[in-house]
Amino acid sequence: MKRFISSHRSRAALVHPGDSSHLGLVVRIMAALVRISSVCCRGVSPLLFRSCSLIRPLAVQKKDRDCPYLISAKIHATPSSYAGSGSKAASLHWTGERILSIVLLGLAPVAYFYPVPAVDYSLAAALTLHGHWGLGQVVTDYVHGDFKIKMANAGLFLLSTVTFAGLCYFNYHDVGICKAVALLWSK
Amino acid sequence: MSCHLVLTVLARQGLCSSRLQFGVLYRHAVPMGTTAKEEMDKFWTKNTRLNRPVSPHISIYEWSVPMMLSISHRGTGVALSSGISAFALAALVLPESYPYYLDLIHSMSFGPQFLAFSKFALAFPVAYHTFNGIRHLLWDLGKGFKIPEVYRSGYIVIALTVLTSVGLAAM
Repeated sequence: MKRFISSHRSRAALVHPGDSSHLGLVVRIMAALVRISSVCCRGVSPLLFRSCSLIRPLAVQKKDRDCPYLISAKIHATPSSYAGSGSKAASLHWTGERILSIVLLGLAPVAYFYPVPAVDYSLAAALTLHGHWGLGQVVTDYVHGDFKIKMANAGLFLLSTVTFAGLCYFNYHDVGICKAVALLWSK
Repeated sequence: MSCHLVLTVLARQGLCSSRLQFGVLYRHAVPMGTTAKEEMDKFWTKNTRLNRPVSPHISIYEWSVPMMLSISHRGTGVALSSGISAFALAALVLPESYPYYLDLIHSMSFGPQFLAFSKFALAFPVAYHTFNGIRHLLWDLGKGFKIPEVYRSGYIVIALTVLTSVGLAAM
Protein backbone atom coordinates (compact mmCIF):
# COMPACT_ATOMS: atom_id res chain seq x y z
CA MET A 1 0.00 0.00 0.00
CA LYS A 2 2.69 2.47 1.06
CA ARG A 3 4.53 1.86 -2.19
CA PHE A 4 1.91 3.06 -4.57
CA ILE A 5 0.65 5.88 -2.37
CA SER A 6 4.03 7.53 -2.77
CA SER A 7 4.26 6.69 -6.47
CA HIS A 8 0.87 8.21 -7.13
CA ARG A 9 1.67 11.25 -5.09
CA SER A 10 4.75 11.73 -7.21
CA ARG A 11 2.71 11.12 -10.39
CA ALA A 12 0.23 13.83 -9.39
CA ALA A 13 3.16 16.09 -8.53
CA LEU A 14 4.62 15.61 -12.02
CA VAL A 15 1.32 16.42 -13.73
CA HIS A 16 0.65 19.75 -12.01
CA PRO A 17 3.80 21.06 -10.46
CA GLY A 18 2.63 24.64 -10.36
CA ASP A 19 -0.93 24.38 -9.08
CA SER A 20 -0.48 23.61 -5.39
CA SER A 21 -4.06 24.04 -4.13
CA HIS A 22 -5.56 21.84 -6.84
CA LEU A 23 -2.78 19.32 -6.28
CA GLY A 24 -3.46 19.32 -2.57
CA LEU A 25 -7.13 18.41 -3.11
CA VAL A 26 -6.28 15.69 -5.59
CA VAL A 27 -3.72 14.19 -3.25
CA ARG A 28 -6.16 14.24 -0.35
CA ILE A 29 -8.84 12.49 -2.39
CA MET A 30 -6.38 9.93 -3.69
CA ALA A 31 -5.13 9.23 -0.19
CA ALA A 32 -8.69 8.85 1.10
CA LEU A 33 -9.66 6.47 -1.68
CA VAL A 34 -6.54 4.41 -1.21
CA ARG A 35 -7.31 4.16 2.49
CA ILE A 36 -10.88 3.08 1.71
CA SER A 37 -9.73 0.51 -0.81
CA SER A 38 -7.14 -0.83 1.59
CA VAL A 39 -9.95 -1.37 4.11
CA CYS A 40 -11.95 -3.11 1.42
CA CYS A 41 -9.04 -5.32 0.49
CA ARG A 42 -8.91 -6.50 4.08
CA GLY A 43 -12.63 -7.20 3.80
CA VAL A 44 -13.13 -5.77 7.25
CA SER A 45 -16.60 -4.37 7.48
CA PRO A 46 -19.84 -6.26 7.00
CA LEU A 47 -21.16 -3.04 5.47
CA LEU A 48 -19.44 -3.97 2.27
CA PHE A 49 -20.90 -7.44 2.06
CA ARG A 50 -24.54 -6.74 2.55
CA SER A 51 -26.07 -9.84 1.03
CA CYS A 52 -25.03 -13.46 0.97
CA SER A 53 -24.37 -13.40 -2.75
CA LEU A 54 -20.82 -12.22 -2.43
CA ILE A 55 -19.87 -9.83 -5.17
CA ARG A 56 -16.51 -9.09 -6.62
CA PRO A 57 -16.16 -5.36 -7.24
CA LEU A 58 -14.51 -4.65 -10.56
CA ALA A 59 -12.59 -1.58 -11.59
CA VAL A 60 -15.14 1.18 -11.99
CA GLN A 61 -14.54 2.79 -15.36
CA LYS A 62 -12.62 1.97 -18.48
CA LYS A 63 -10.58 5.14 -17.95
CA ASP A 64 -8.94 3.65 -14.93
CA ARG A 65 -7.29 0.85 -16.85
CA ASP A 66 -4.00 2.39 -15.73
CA CYS A 67 -4.69 2.26 -12.01
CA PRO A 68 -7.68 0.07 -11.20
CA TYR A 69 -6.42 -0.62 -7.72
CA LEU A 70 -6.85 2.96 -6.76
CA ILE A 71 -10.61 3.13 -7.12
CA SER A 72 -11.75 -0.41 -6.51
CA ALA A 73 -10.82 -3.39 -4.46
CA LYS A 74 -10.66 -6.80 -6.09
CA ILE A 75 -11.77 -9.38 -3.63
CA HIS A 76 -11.64 -13.00 -4.69
CA ALA A 77 -13.97 -14.97 -2.50
CA THR A 78 -16.95 -17.24 -2.81
CA PRO A 79 -18.95 -18.21 0.26
CA SER A 80 -19.60 -21.92 0.48
CA SER A 81 -23.34 -21.20 0.42
CA TYR A 82 -22.95 -19.86 -3.12
CA ALA A 83 -21.32 -23.05 -4.34
CA GLY A 84 -24.61 -24.94 -4.44
CA SER A 85 -24.44 -28.22 -2.56
CA GLY A 86 -20.69 -27.72 -1.88
CA SER A 87 -18.87 -31.00 -2.17
CA LYS A 88 -16.41 -31.95 0.55
CA ALA A 89 -14.80 -34.56 -1.69
CA ALA A 90 -11.48 -32.76 -2.13
CA SER A 91 -11.14 -32.04 1.56
CA LEU A 92 -12.00 -35.62 2.52
CA HIS A 93 -9.52 -36.92 -0.04
CA TRP A 94 -6.80 -34.83 1.56
CA THR A 95 -7.62 -36.17 5.00
CA GLY A 96 -7.74 -39.72 3.64
CA GLU A 97 -4.28 -39.32 2.18
CA ARG A 98 -2.87 -38.25 5.56
CA ILE A 99 -4.60 -41.06 7.45
CA LEU A 100 -3.31 -43.62 4.94
CA SER A 101 0.23 -42.26 5.33
CA ILE A 102 0.03 -42.74 9.09
CA VAL A 103 -1.39 -46.27 8.64
CA LEU A 104 1.47 -47.14 6.31
CA LEU A 105 3.96 -45.72 8.80
CA GLY A 106 2.49 -47.95 11.49
CA LEU A 107 2.52 -51.04 9.25
CA ALA A 108 6.30 -50.98 8.86
CA PRO A 109 7.25 -52.07 12.42
CA VAL A 110 4.28 -54.47 12.47
CA ALA A 111 5.60 -56.08 9.26
CA TYR A 112 9.00 -56.48 10.88
CA PHE A 113 7.75 -58.11 14.08
CA TYR A 114 4.70 -59.98 12.74
CA PRO A 115 5.32 -61.09 9.13
CA VAL A 116 1.93 -62.79 8.67
CA PRO A 117 -0.37 -62.95 5.58
CA ALA A 118 -2.78 -60.39 7.04
CA VAL A 119 0.06 -57.89 7.17
CA ASP A 120 1.18 -58.89 3.67
CA TYR A 121 -2.22 -58.05 2.19
CA SER A 122 -2.59 -54.88 4.25
CA LEU A 123 0.82 -53.77 3.04
CA ALA A 124 -0.15 -54.54 -0.56
CA ALA A 125 -3.32 -52.44 -0.24
CA ALA A 126 -1.74 -49.55 1.65
CA LEU A 127 1.33 -49.32 -0.59
CA THR A 128 -0.73 -49.44 -3.78
CA LEU A 129 -3.26 -46.86 -2.63
CA HIS A 130 -0.60 -44.52 -1.22
CA GLY A 131 1.30 -44.75 -4.51
CA HIS A 132 -1.91 -44.29 -6.52
CA TRP A 133 -2.89 -41.14 -4.65
CA GLY A 134 0.67 -39.81 -4.73
CA LEU A 135 1.00 -40.28 -8.49
CA GLY A 136 -2.47 -38.73 -8.82
CA GLN A 137 -1.10 -35.53 -7.26
CA VAL A 138 1.82 -35.60 -9.70
CA VAL A 139 -0.64 -35.89 -12.60
CA THR A 140 -2.70 -32.99 -11.23
CA ASP A 141 0.40 -30.82 -10.98
CA TYR A 142 1.93 -31.49 -14.37
CA VAL A 143 -0.82 -32.60 -16.75
CA HIS A 144 -3.17 -29.94 -18.14
CA GLY A 145 -6.09 -30.03 -20.53
CA ASP A 146 -9.27 -32.07 -20.06
CA PHE A 147 -8.43 -34.92 -22.45
CA LYS A 148 -4.83 -35.34 -21.28
CA ILE A 149 -5.92 -35.35 -17.65
CA LYS A 150 -8.52 -38.03 -18.36
CA MET A 151 -6.00 -40.16 -20.24
CA ALA A 152 -3.30 -39.80 -17.57
CA ASN A 153 -5.72 -40.73 -14.80
CA ALA A 154 -7.01 -43.71 -16.76
CA GLY A 155 -3.45 -44.93 -17.31
CA LEU A 156 -2.68 -44.44 -13.63
CA PHE A 157 -5.77 -46.36 -12.62
CA LEU A 158 -4.74 -49.24 -14.87
CA LEU A 159 -1.22 -49.22 -13.44
CA SER A 160 -2.48 -49.24 -9.85
CA THR A 161 -4.93 -52.04 -10.58
CA VAL A 162 -2.20 -54.20 -12.13
CA THR A 163 0.13 -53.36 -9.22
CA PHE A 164 -2.42 -54.42 -6.63
CA ALA A 165 -3.27 -57.58 -8.58
CA GLY A 166 0.42 -58.46 -8.90
CA LEU A 167 1.12 -57.92 -5.20
CA CYS A 168 -1.89 -60.01 -4.18
CA TYR A 169 -0.82 -62.74 -6.60
CA PHE A 170 2.65 -62.62 -5.07
CA ASN A 171 1.22 -62.82 -1.56
CA TYR A 172 -0.98 -65.79 -2.49
CA HIS A 173 1.22 -67.89 -4.80
CA ASP A 174 4.66 -66.88 -3.63
CA VAL A 175 6.44 -66.10 -0.36
CA GLY A 176 4.65 -62.83 0.40
CA ILE A 177 5.96 -59.26 0.81
CA CYS A 178 7.35 -59.54 4.38
CA LYS A 179 9.21 -62.79 3.67
CA ALA A 180 10.48 -61.41 0.35
CA VAL A 181 12.13 -58.45 2.06
CA ALA A 182 13.58 -60.72 4.74
CA LEU A 183 15.01 -63.08 2.12
CA LEU A 184 16.42 -60.21 0.09
CA TRP A 185 18.22 -58.87 3.13
CA SER A 186 19.46 -62.22 4.37
CA LYS A 187 22.30 -62.46 1.89
CA MET B 1 -2.30 11.33 -16.40
CA SER B 2 -5.71 9.79 -16.98
CA CYS B 3 -5.70 8.85 -13.29
CA HIS B 4 -5.54 12.48 -12.37
CA LEU B 5 -8.38 13.38 -14.76
CA VAL B 6 -10.61 10.69 -13.31
CA LEU B 7 -9.94 11.93 -9.81
CA THR B 8 -10.68 15.49 -10.81
CA VAL B 9 -13.99 14.37 -12.34
CA LEU B 10 -14.87 12.40 -9.25
CA ALA B 11 -13.89 15.27 -6.98
CA ARG B 12 -16.21 17.56 -8.89
CA GLN B 13 -19.04 15.07 -8.43
CA GLY B 14 -18.50 15.59 -4.71
CA LEU B 15 -17.24 12.13 -3.96
CA CYS B 16 -15.91 13.07 -0.57
CA SER B 17 -18.68 11.43 1.42
CA SER B 18 -17.84 7.87 2.38
CA ARG B 19 -21.23 6.48 1.36
CA LEU B 20 -20.75 7.68 -2.19
CA GLN B 21 -17.24 6.27 -2.24
CA PHE B 22 -18.63 2.87 -1.33
CA GLY B 23 -21.11 3.36 -4.15
CA VAL B 24 -18.25 3.96 -6.56
CA LEU B 25 -16.58 0.72 -5.48
CA TYR B 26 -19.63 -1.40 -6.16
CA ARG B 27 -21.10 0.23 -9.21
CA HIS B 28 -20.13 -2.67 -11.44
CA ALA B 29 -20.08 -5.96 -9.58
CA VAL B 30 -20.25 -9.51 -10.83
CA PRO B 31 -21.16 -12.61 -8.84
CA MET B 32 -18.42 -15.23 -8.60
CA GLY B 33 -19.55 -18.72 -9.36
CA THR B 34 -16.54 -20.60 -10.65
CA THR B 35 -15.14 -23.79 -9.23
CA ALA B 36 -11.51 -24.30 -8.33
CA LYS B 37 -11.13 -26.59 -11.34
CA GLU B 38 -12.50 -23.95 -13.71
CA GLU B 39 -10.18 -21.33 -12.25
CA MET B 40 -7.17 -23.62 -12.62
CA ASP B 41 -8.12 -24.49 -16.22
CA LYS B 42 -8.38 -20.79 -17.05
CA PHE B 43 -5.02 -20.20 -15.38
CA TRP B 44 -3.26 -22.88 -17.40
CA THR B 45 -4.80 -22.07 -20.79
CA LYS B 46 -3.93 -18.41 -20.38
CA ASN B 47 -0.38 -18.98 -19.22
CA THR B 48 0.48 -21.67 -21.77
CA ARG B 49 -0.94 -19.45 -24.50
CA LEU B 50 1.29 -16.61 -23.34
CA ASN B 51 4.17 -19.12 -23.31
CA ARG B 52 5.24 -18.21 -19.82
CA PRO B 53 7.83 -20.29 -17.97
CA VAL B 54 6.60 -22.17 -14.92
CA SER B 55 7.34 -20.85 -11.49
CA PRO B 56 9.86 -21.25 -9.91
CA HIS B 57 11.96 -21.02 -13.05
CA ILE B 58 14.22 -24.02 -12.54
CA SER B 59 17.33 -22.70 -14.27
CA ILE B 60 17.10 -19.03 -13.34
CA TYR B 61 15.66 -19.17 -9.82
CA GLU B 62 18.22 -19.93 -7.13
CA TRP B 63 17.76 -23.44 -5.72
CA SER B 64 17.42 -23.75 -1.97
CA VAL B 65 17.77 -26.77 0.33
CA PRO B 66 14.00 -26.95 1.05
CA MET B 67 13.30 -26.87 -2.70
CA MET B 68 15.70 -29.75 -3.29
CA LEU B 69 14.25 -31.75 -0.42
CA SER B 70 10.77 -31.19 -1.77
CA ILE B 71 11.49 -32.38 -5.30
CA SER B 72 13.47 -35.30 -3.87
CA HIS B 73 10.40 -36.31 -1.90
CA ARG B 74 8.44 -36.39 -5.12
CA GLY B 75 11.31 -38.10 -6.99
CA THR B 76 11.74 -40.87 -4.41
CA GLY B 77 7.97 -41.32 -4.30
CA VAL B 78 7.71 -41.79 -8.06
CA ALA B 79 10.78 -44.06 -8.10
CA LEU B 80 9.50 -46.26 -5.28
CA SER B 81 6.05 -46.49 -6.83
CA SER B 82 7.56 -47.48 -10.16
CA GLY B 83 9.70 -50.07 -8.41
CA ILE B 84 6.71 -51.59 -6.67
CA SER B 85 4.72 -51.64 -9.90
CA ALA B 86 7.63 -53.25 -11.75
CA PHE B 87 7.90 -55.87 -9.01
CA ALA B 88 4.17 -56.60 -9.17
CA LEU B 89 4.26 -56.86 -12.96
CA ALA B 90 7.24 -59.21 -12.77
CA ALA B 91 5.37 -61.36 -10.24
CA LEU B 92 2.50 -61.70 -12.72
CA VAL B 93 4.62 -62.29 -15.79
CA LEU B 94 7.69 -64.29 -14.76
CA PRO B 95 7.25 -68.08 -14.68
CA GLU B 96 9.44 -69.00 -11.69
CA SER B 97 9.11 -68.18 -7.99
CA TYR B 98 10.80 -65.43 -6.03
CA PRO B 99 13.34 -67.67 -4.23
CA TYR B 100 14.41 -69.06 -7.62
CA TYR B 101 15.29 -65.64 -8.96
CA LEU B 102 16.92 -64.65 -5.69
CA ASP B 103 19.17 -67.73 -5.85
CA LEU B 104 19.91 -66.84 -9.49
CA ILE B 105 21.19 -63.43 -8.42
CA HIS B 106 23.16 -64.93 -5.51
CA SER B 107 24.79 -67.47 -7.85
CA MET B 108 26.13 -64.62 -9.96
CA SER B 109 28.53 -64.03 -7.02
CA PHE B 110 28.70 -60.28 -6.85
CA GLY B 111 31.19 -59.00 -4.28
CA PRO B 112 30.03 -58.17 -0.74
CA GLN B 113 30.58 -54.49 -1.42
CA PHE B 114 28.18 -54.65 -4.34
CA LEU B 115 25.55 -56.36 -2.19
CA ALA B 116 26.02 -53.80 0.59
CA PHE B 117 25.82 -50.99 -1.92
CA SER B 118 22.62 -52.31 -3.49
CA LYS B 119 21.05 -52.66 -0.04
CA PHE B 120 22.02 -49.04 0.63
CA ALA B 121 20.59 -48.01 -2.76
CA LEU B 122 17.27 -49.68 -1.93
CA ALA B 123 17.10 -48.45 1.65
CA PHE B 124 18.03 -44.84 0.88
CA PRO B 125 14.91 -43.74 -1.04
CA VAL B 126 12.64 -45.63 1.37
CA ALA B 127 14.26 -44.00 4.39
CA TYR B 128 14.32 -40.54 2.84
CA HIS B 129 10.71 -40.66 1.69
CA THR B 130 9.63 -41.97 5.12
CA PHE B 131 11.44 -39.32 7.16
CA ASN B 132 10.52 -36.46 4.86
CA GLY B 133 6.98 -37.84 4.87
CA ILE B 134 6.89 -37.46 8.66
CA ARG B 135 8.18 -33.90 8.19
CA HIS B 136 5.25 -33.29 5.81
CA LEU B 137 2.77 -34.71 8.30
CA LEU B 138 4.11 -32.34 10.96
CA TRP B 139 3.51 -29.45 8.56
CA ASP B 140 -0.02 -30.73 8.07
CA LEU B 141 -0.48 -30.40 11.81
CA GLY B 142 0.65 -26.80 11.46
CA LYS B 143 4.05 -27.26 13.05
CA GLY B 144 7.47 -26.08 11.92
CA PHE B 145 6.66 -23.47 9.30
CA LYS B 146 9.19 -20.84 10.39
CA ILE B 147 12.06 -20.70 7.95
CA PRO B 148 14.80 -21.73 10.44
CA GLU B 149 12.57 -24.63 11.51
CA VAL B 150 12.10 -25.69 7.89
CA TYR B 151 15.86 -25.83 7.40
CA ARG B 152 16.47 -27.54 10.73
CA SER B 153 13.90 -30.29 10.12
CA GLY B 154 15.31 -30.70 6.61
CA TYR B 155 18.83 -31.31 7.89
CA ILE B 156 17.50 -33.74 10.50
CA VAL B 157 15.74 -35.68 7.71
CA ILE B 158 18.98 -35.86 5.69
CA ALA B 159 20.98 -37.02 8.73
CA LEU B 160 18.42 -39.66 9.72
CA THR B 161 18.21 -40.91 6.13
CA VAL B 162 21.95 -41.42 5.82
CA LEU B 163 22.23 -43.08 9.25
CA THR B 164 19.28 -45.37 8.65
CA SER B 165 20.42 -46.37 5.16
CA VAL B 166 23.92 -47.17 6.37
CA GLY B 167 22.47 -49.09 9.30
CA LEU B 168 20.11 -51.09 7.09
CA ALA B 169 22.84 -51.80 4.52
CA ALA B 170 25.01 -53.22 7.29
CA MET B 171 22.29 -55.67 8.38
